Amino acid sequence: MSLYNFKKIAVVPTAKDFIDIILSKTQRKTPTVVHKHYKITRIRAFYIRKVKFTQQNFHDRLSRIIQEFPKLDDVHPFYADLMNVLYDKDHYKLGLGQLNTARHLIDNVAKDYVRLLKFGDSLYRCKQLKRAALGRMATIMKRQSANLTYLEQVRQHLSRLPSIDPYTRTIIICGFPNVGKSSFINKITRADVEVQPYAFTTKSLYVGHTDYKYLRWQVIDTPGILDHPLEERNVIEMQAVTALAHLRAAILYFIDPSEQCGHSIEEQISLFESIKPLFSNKPLIVVLNKMDVIKPEELAPNKRALIEELEATCAKGNLVNADTNSELRTVPVMRMSTVTEVGVQEVKIEACERLLGHRVTEKMRTKKVDGILNRLHVAVPSPRDNKARPPVLPPGVQEKREKKAERESRKRKLEREIELEQGDDYVLDLQKNYSEIAEEERHDPIPEFWEGHNIADYIDPDIFDKLAELEKEEELRVAGGMYAVPKIELDETMKEIRELARQIRNKKAILKDESRLVKQSTKPVMPRTSRARDRDRSTTKLRDQMEKLGVDMSDTKQANFTKTRSRSRSQSAPVAKRARVDSRARSVSRPARDEQGVKDVAMQKRAKNLAHVAIARKTKKMGLKGEADRFIGTKKPKHLFAGKRGVGKTDRR
Amino acid sequence: MAVRVQFENNNEVGVFSKLTNSYCLVAIGGSENFYSVFEAELADTIPVVHVSVAGCRIIGRMTVANKNGLLVPSSTTDTELQHIRNSLPDTVKVQRVEERLSALGNVIACNDYVALVHPDLDKDTEEILADTLNVEVFRQTVAGNVLVGSYTALTNRGGMVHPKTTIQDQDELSSLLQVPLVAGTVNRGSDVVAAGLVVNDWSAFCGMDTTSTEISVIESVFKLNDAKPTAITSTMRASLIDSMS
Repeated sequence: MSLYNFKKIAVVPTAKDFIDIILSKTQRKTPTVVHKHYKITRIRAFYIRKVKFTQQNFHDRLSRIIQEFPKLDDVHPFYADLMNVLYDKDHYKLGLGQLNTARHLIDNVAKDYVRLLKFGDSLYRCKQLKRAALGRMATIMKRQSANLTYLEQVRQHLSRLPSIDPYTRTIIICGFPNVGKSSFINKITRADVEVQPYAFTTKSLYVGHTDYKYLRWQVIDTPGILDHPLEERNVIEMQAVTALAHLRAAILYFIDPSEQCGHSIEEQISLFESIKPLFSNKPLIVVLNKMDVIKPEELAPNKRALIEELEATCAKGNLVNADTNSELRTVPVMRMSTVTEVGVQEVKIEACERLLGHRVTEKMRTKKVDGILNRLHVAVPSPRDNKARPPVLPPGVQEKREKKAERESRKRKLEREIELEQGDDYVLDLQKNYSEIAEEERHDPIPEFWEGHNIADYIDPDIFDKLAELEKEEELRVAGGMYAVPKIELDETMKEIRELARQIRNKKAILKDESRLVKQSTKPVMPRTSRARDRDRSTTKLRDQMEKLGVDMSDTKQANFTKTRSRSRSQSAPVAKRARVDSRARSVSRPARDEQGVKDVAMQKRAKNLAHVAIARKTKKMGLKGEADRFIGTKKPKHLFAGKRGVGKTDRR
Repeated sequence: MAVRVQFENNNEVGVFSKLTNSYCLVAIGGSENFYSVFEAELADTIPVVHVSVAGCRIIGRMTVANKNGLLVPSSTTDTELQHIRNSLPDTVKVQRVEERLSALGNVIACNDYVALVHPDLDKDTEEILADTLNVEVFRQTVAGNVLVGSYTALTNRGGMVHPKTTIQDQDELSSLLQVPLVAGTVNRGSDVVAAGLVVNDWSAFCGMDTTSTEISVIESVFKLNDAKPTAITSTMRASLIDSMS
């Protein structure tokens, strides 16, 4: 549908507007103030910018027009031909071609003047050069004035063309002027084409859509065609011929046997004969319209003979189609009246059926259908057992279906209606439709938790009975010895296997322990966060350890190692509070940073020494007072904060 | 009769509703438009119930149901479960299942007699499914997709499967399910059939984008009007070919 949409082409302004738009844009979007005491490079840059900006805008605008208009070589041949008929291909191509040349000319003008501007030696000269450049660009555009008006007209006409999809299912109605083509399209679609009792009421193509067999059909009403050579045909007729020539559609050829249209039956039949080549390989139906006025049987004998002859040739086949394609060989001649609507639907159905059949055989031939064959298949089950699986229809359904046929209004008030009635006050009531709960109990609030228990866990009324039952069952099972491990008699081979398995397990455990003992790196690992270990030697610990190792420590009351003395001078120092080492782990605060990651006190001391040496070295070298000495002699040196500064010197001196 | 409907501008109606032969579940939305479409069509014959599962609106994909019962995922809260129990008739067994694949509607497709399930579904869930919904269970894939629940719409009268299902697969599934099957689309070519369509033995609801050809296929395969499923291969064949290729 959106494949050919010419409604989005931007408006083409007239030459005068075009120039105004571009020049005012230059004025608005480029700097406007320049002085002659400026450096000459700055003045040149100012005017070069103006020239280049104007050229760029001309270029963009023209390119957009050239791009947006459809290329005759790219569009579907139907549209290419239609545009040729309506706007004259040569004129159209020339118009766009000249715009393209204008674009190049403008580019060249700008290039030349920019080159000249580089040598401008005063503001005045530069300004004159700019004026000349813009003036020449405007002159080039002025010369395109006729072109632009033509293209604007084409654009307006294009945007009003009906959106015809050349690839979809299409029915084309054609015939002499005033034979009832537009009346027919008005009957089968909602196109609403103007119908008047004079010839050439319809001056262009009209499109309507109709539905048949779940599909959408595009119906095209064409202007009437007169019987004369192709060269003499006017634009109105040529539109019809274009549609007939390029669209792969079903064609309805309308004949008015009553001759109310002002053309005799002979003329109408001879036109049919002369435009026959346009119908080749398309489903074709000849329609005798205006049956309410006169029937073929009531015609004068010579005219009736003509009709009969036509019917005979149509029925004989091979009329328009060279190959012996079975469905297109014969052409039906149908009768109808758009006034009484007799036969209108039949004609539509016949046309749709023929076109559909034709399209399907074409598609079958091109193997397009292979991909969707599985979707045209209905898998019907073969019965696998004797079980009946009937559909379930509640009793109300059948009644409702019958009621629907009677169009009986429903009594129920819908939730949506209630919502609309109450407006903002509406609150969805989830509980009002509860089944099997009494009306007055439905809205009872139920707590989620009651005395610390989830209500949902006790929703079953006899949950305790069920539990007791299960427990009883379990007891019975235990009593019945269901869980007792049966004694297993082992035979010789089984014993051997067991023994072997035990040995393997032992060996594995030993290997595991060994690998744990013999590590790659034997050095102790010191975690970063641990603190240096205090000395923890004590007589009690010694005694415990030795006892554990089996040494008799019974009479060591007077032994030398017990004779320890605190380092304090005072003999009456209170007994230190014993740490509860064994009872439970105590939380230890994180050690200070200089205590972290050191192994012992000695190492800590050494690290401290090293730090002292480093600090001392630094202070000595720089003449500092100490570690915290960060002396700045003058806070704001005058040369950095006083005086004028030139452009671009804020960040450095 | 198939009805076109939208849930808050979304065409995947099968995500927000669940339809069986004895009840219909509808998500709680911003307005009652969606609910009332179901209400007008069904409320005279079966209860139409507002439901949420685990606080979500995607009940169609989370639950699996038929006329005998309803399975909800373990994420369903106690209050929601109680609301469902209160709203549905007592003949419908409601059961919560502990299943890793918690979007039960995506992994299980069933009618009142048979169910197709995801090949990796838990053994226990399969048993609960068979007991609660009273169905025979088959582990299957549809057109190579393990999410059988998403790609199959099933009733006791017919079924629609993923559009790429081969003819052999269709025949095989059909003889398992014992209903006529057709491969088709909804919502103008969407292949997630169960998301765009909810259907029971006498009514169907599909997304607003569904074309008339798609509706005609749906109506004839589920026998919602007088047409037989065989109409797809006979009277509708030409229009199907012309619209699809």
